[in-house]
Amino acid sequence: MAEMTEIKKELQQAIIKGKRDAVEPLIQKALADGLNPEEIMNAIMIPAMDVVGEQFSRNEIFLPEMMIAARAMNIGLGILRPMLIAKGVSGRGKVVIGTVKGDIHDVGKNIVSMVLQGAGYEVMDLGIDVPPEKFVEAINQYRPKFVLMSALITLTMSMMGETIKVFQKSGVREKVKVGVGGAPLTQSFADRIGADFYGKDARAAVIKCNELI
Amino acid sequence: MKPRERVLTALKRGIPDKVPWIENDIEEGLQERIMGMTQFTPGELCEKLGMDGFGYHFPMGGQATAGQAMQAAVGFKESYYYPKKVTFDFVPPWIAEMGVIPETGRTFIKQGLLTSNDSLKLFNEYLPDPDHPARYEQVSKWIDKFKGDYAVFARIRLGSASTLESMGLVEFAYNVYDNPDLIKEIHRRFSEWSAKVVEHLNQMDFDYYWANDDHADTKSTWMSREQYLEFFLPYQKIVAKAIKKPWVFHSDGNLLPIIDDLLTLGMNGIHPIQPAAMNIKQIKAKYGNRVCILGNIDLDYTLTLGTPDEVDKEVKERIAAAGPGGGYIVTSANSLTDYCKTENVWAMASAIKKYGKYPLDPNLLK
Repeated sequence: MAEMTEIKKELQQAIIKGKRDAVEPLIQKALADGLNPEEIMNAIMIPAMDVVGEQFSRNEIFLPEMMIAARAMNIGLGILRPMLIAKGVSGRGKVVIGTVKGDIHDVGKNIVSMVLQGAGYEVMDLGIDVPPEKFVEAINQYRPKFVLMSALITLTMSMMGETIKVFQKSGVREKVKVGVGGAPLTQSFADRIGADFYGKDARAAVIKCNELI
Repeated sequence: MKPRERVLTALKRGIPDKVPWIENDIEEGLQERIMGMTQFTPGELCEKLGMDGFGYHFPMGGQATAGQAMQAAVGFKESYYYPKKVTFDFVPPWIAEMGVIPETGRTFIKQGLLTSNDSLKLFNEYLPDPDHPARYEQVSKWIDKFKGDYAVFARIRLGSASTLESMGLVEFAYNVYDNPDLIKEIHRRFSEWSAKVVEHLNQMDFDYYWANDDHADTKSTWMSREQYLEFFLPYQKIVAKAIKKPWVFHSDGNLLPIIDDLLTLGMNGIHPIQPAAMNIKQIKAKYGNRVCILGNIDLDYTLTLGTPDEVDKEVKERIAAAGPGGGYIVTSANSLTDYCKTENVWAMASAIKKYGKYPLDPNLLK
């Protein structure tokens, strides 16, 4: 048990510090010691990314540290995923994400995407300037739990509402939870267009998704 | 005071006759809406708005371009040397794969291309010769022709935005740990290019420069203070040392984690104090004795979605917060974009005229 705790600490630190080369040997050691993949993901790796997310939201670490931690996490998830699928264990679920039509900004969307992956979600990133129909196509194809939309400028915020209307017309609105984010957005705007939630930053988006799973 | 003197007085933290108004950019579609025509001089736009200076770019000589005309790579060198439309910009191209939205013509960066040591060879392919005389000669003619009494600026970069955009933020983040020398080499090359450009600009009749280098979003800077000191500041200094005129530094977002170090570059003004990220009253109180404050008229709501009355109220509040003692220039909290409501731009013009006269109205300050 003492050994398991040691591995847990080491693997968590490897993810928190973004030490990608250390992740695989530590996961192999944990598996050899009898931990199952689900436990490794849920009890060790996801809590490590929670620590990273909290440090990032408090400005104790910055983008480079958050990104290398997410990269290390994704390496770990890549190793565990085939085992989890073979055991019929799904992760936290799929998320379709994109910047809405007319908007070409992707920095915020990319950060949210990385943090979500780090938190155990499978992310389908549709990119920028995504028309409503492309979101609908992705919902039908991937069957995600969440659709997250980003807009950085007020010009394109209204496209979020338009996209939700297209979801309704296409009969997919009830199949997904819709989250929105971006610098000019507010909770009241999200309420007005009928989104399920607003995330003021990447960490908030993950917390909202976790609550709504 | 003439507009030029008004701007330069405020940039030197003095008290002009009234709070000046300048913008880092006015997108060309909005310029045309303001003017009600497609061909006009920079001075005519300033006169119509009551603005004190200009720089950036104008539809004159061609057709209005959507957005901020981000620099595309293909054919960039020739269009840089021989600009057809009136421009005062001296920024390097992004070394990136560019995309364009067909419906609007807005260009955007699909992907940065400086991601490895091998990719450094792209600098030769993309960067124009900073000593090529043609652009300087052409822009000098435009300054002679259009300057009048206005404060005219050149937009430049310190190299930081060029580095971040040409790498991509994700590649930048990884390489802080994987290949730190790559980031430093990229920044050094962009900064040395800008420093050479600035040496030429120093000989021209510009009144000041406006360096555009985003470092942050509303949450924080994209790098820690330690990373700023290691990867950015030493290279920014290459450009700052070459500058022999007053200058303004621009970065969106929350600069608080690096602001004390940033100010060691010796700029005269800091812009745009984005309201979602920083409080202008606090910035003025803490840094107003070191640097002129520019900006803070909100673009996320007020100018783009708000009403003229809300614009009036915000301009009044900002002048009351940052105007006392001088050293404040009104500008939008980034630039006047195509999607600003035209009536709100007029409301901004009228509010600056109404509230900006020194000595400021004591009722304003209550």
